Amino acid sequence: MIQSIKLVFSNFIYVLLSAIIFVSMMIGLLIMSEYIFLAPYIVSHLPSGTELGFVLILTLSALSALVIPMNIFRINILKSSKQKMSGGVVGSIIGAVAGACSCGPVGFAVISTFGSVGATATAFLTNYEIPIRIMAIAILVVTYFTTIKSLKLECNINS
Amino acid sequence: MNKKAVILGVIVIAIVAGIAASVSSSTSETVNLDMGRTHGTISTAMGSAILGDPSAPITIVEFGDYQCHQCYNWFHNTKPAITRDYIETGKANLVFVDLAFLGNDSPKAAQASYCAEDQGMYWDYHDILYNSQEPKIDGGWANSERLKAFAFSLGLDMELFESCLDSGKYSKRVQYNIQQARDHGVRGTPGFFIVGPDGQQQISGAQPFSVFKQIMDPMI
Repeated sequence: MIQSIKLVFSNFIYVLLSAIIFVSMMIGLLIMSEYIFLAPYIVSHLPSGTELGFVLILTLSALSALVIPMNIFRINILKSSKQKMSGGVVGSIIGAVAGACSCGPVGFAVISTFGSVGATATAFLTNYEIPIRIMAIAILVVTYFTTIKSLKLECNINS
Repeated sequence: MNKKAVILGVIVIAIVAGIAASVSSSTSETVNLDMGRTHGTISTAMGSAILGDPSAPITIVEFGDYQCHQCYNWFHNTKPAITRDYIETGKANLVFVDLAFLGNDSPKAAQASYCAEDQGMYWDYHDILYNSQEPKIDGGWANSERLKAFAFSLGLDMELFESCLDSGKYSKRVQYNIQQARDHGVRGTPGFFIVGPDGQQQISGAQPFSVFKQIMDPMI
C-alpha cells in the first residue's frame, strides 16, 4: 500500500496536484459551510456543535487529495481506463454538494431559481448533510483501496 | 370624604402602575406601532418589536429564518455576547425581520411569532423557537400543532393565538419582510445590517462576536 503511494507521489506534479485539490476543496467547503468568512473581514469560526461537520470536511478534502491524483496517475502513466476515476470524483462531488445547499447563498439561489423543487432538494441535502458526507467518505475509501489494488496489479504486469 | 380619598387613591395607584408597566416594557420589548419605521434604508415597519432601548445609537437588523441552522448557531453562539455587551447596556437594539424561505413551516413559524406579539410575547416566542429548533427542515418541529404548543407553554391566550395563526393574519406581513430582504440583497440567512448614526454595514452569515464588535465599536 505504501509502495503504491510512494510510486505516485514520487513525482512532484502529483504532490502539487494533491496539495491544490486539498487546499481548494477544504477552503471552498469551509466557506460554503460558514466556517470561514471573507467579508467584511477574513475570519474563521468554529461554533460549538459543528465540530463533526468540520472534521468531515477535512477528511473529505484529504481523501479527495489522495484518491484523485492516484487515479490521474493511473490514467496518465499506465494508460488505464478512465472508468475507475469516477469513484473519486463522484465521492468528492457528493460530499461538496451536501454542504453547499443550506441557508447560505447557494441554497437561497437554488430555492429562488427552482421554487418548490429547489426547496425540496435543499431541504433533503441539508437534513442529510452529515450522512451524505459520511457516504461520500465511504465512496472515497472504497475507491482508494480499489485504486491501490489496481496499481499493484497493473505495476506488476507492466514491470 | 373617605369615598373621595379611596377614588383618588385608586387613580394614583393606576397611574403609578401604568408608568411602571410602560417603563419596564420599554427596556425590553417595544411593540411597533409606527408603520413608517425604517432603519437605514430598510423598512422595518413589518418586522419585530425592538429588543432593547429604542433610542440606542446602533440598530442591528437581523434577517432570519426559524428553520435555518446557521441562525440557530448565531442565536446560541454570538447573540448572547451581543445582548450582554450592547443591547443590555443601551448601546444597540435589535430588530428581527423574516426571510422565511427554507421550507413550508418557515413562513408559518414567522406568522406565529407575530401572533405572540399581539399578546406582548414576541421575543419570548422568538427565543422558544430558536431553543426548540431541530436539525430537519420541515421535519415537524415547527408545524401548526407544535407552534400552538409553544404558545401554550408560554401561557398565551390560546383562543386568540389559534384564531390568529389559523386565519393567516400575518401572512402578508411575512411576505413583505421577505421582499425587504430581497430588495436589500440579502442572499441567505442569517443576514445583518448594522445601522449606525453615519450609515449601515452588511454582514452575511452567522459570523462571530468579534466581527460585530469590530463594526459596532467605532459607531458608538
